[in-house]
Amino acid sequence: MKPGLELPPLERRIALPDMIAYAGATWDWHRLHYDPVYLAPRGLDLPVVDGQVFGALLAEQVQDWIGAAGVLRTLKFRFKQLVYAGETVRCVGTVTAVDGGLVTIEHQVLAGDRVAVAPASSTVELR
Amino acid sequence: MMTDEIRALIGREVTYTAPEPLGRAAIRYFALAVGDHNPVYTDDAAARAAGHDGVIAPPTLICETNQYAGLPADADGYAGHTWGIELPGTRQVRGGNAYEFHRAVRPDDVVTATWRLRDIAERTTGAGQPMLVFTSRATYTNQDGDLLATNEETIIYLGVTP
Repeated sequence: MKPGLELPPLERRIALPDMIAYAGATWDWHRLHYDPVYLAPRGLDLPVVDGQVFGALLAEQVQDWIGAAGVLRTLKFRFKQLVYAGETVRCVGTVTAVDGGLVTIEHQVLAGDRVAVAPASSTVELR
Repeated sequence: MMTDEIRALIGREVTYTAPEPLGRAAIRYFALAVGDHNPVYTDDAAARAAGHDGVIAPPTLICETNQYAGLPADADGYAGHTWGIELPGTRQVRGGNAYEFHRAVRPDDVVTATWRLRDIAERTTGAGQPMLVFTSRATYTNQDGDLLATNEETIIYLGVTP
């Protein structure tokens, strides 16, 4: 484990049914995420993916990688650009520091050639 | 954009306690919706093998869900915590989140979320647009007072050119 190590990327297509499921699972029924009547007057052609789901995907990416060898302790991320229904996102991550039992990872979430989420980082406490 | 009235909101605090434990179904539904097939969320044996007492919640679940809030949906359909602030001539956008995970959340945890409005800062975008940046922090605890997680959230009110 040393700086420069790349995590296996996590890729996921987020289609409208997935967004509806996520809205239900998080008790967040904001119309931005599914309602054409709400979207049209706001100049949006497609429902907007709830940005919070990228936190869940980054956590999944880290935990699938570290497994039982560590525990996710922190995760932070800033939104840069919207992602729309039907797009495929790709979570990438690189280890940037290993300090004793604490590993820091810098992430991005990409949607095609757009950066959807950055800067983003997580820390993992090794067991 | 900043006024004394807005500045006076800093320090405001509100607490929500869920009416029931988080529950196994909520955990399974979230993992399914996200597409995270880690068995520690659905299979007690797998969770025990990973050192837990039984299934646990995905770490970001309590930071992303509005399950605890018990609020009615507003006109936009949103049923989560807000500060109820209307700023005419602005557009609201999410800035980001910073989570700290203190211990794995279990189905029998009854979540209390305490939101505190920590700061409101007036800034200017690169394009010269005025904005107000609201920084709030949620602290999630359970019925025994155990600290589960914290969530610092940034919401930006962008000035819209008339």
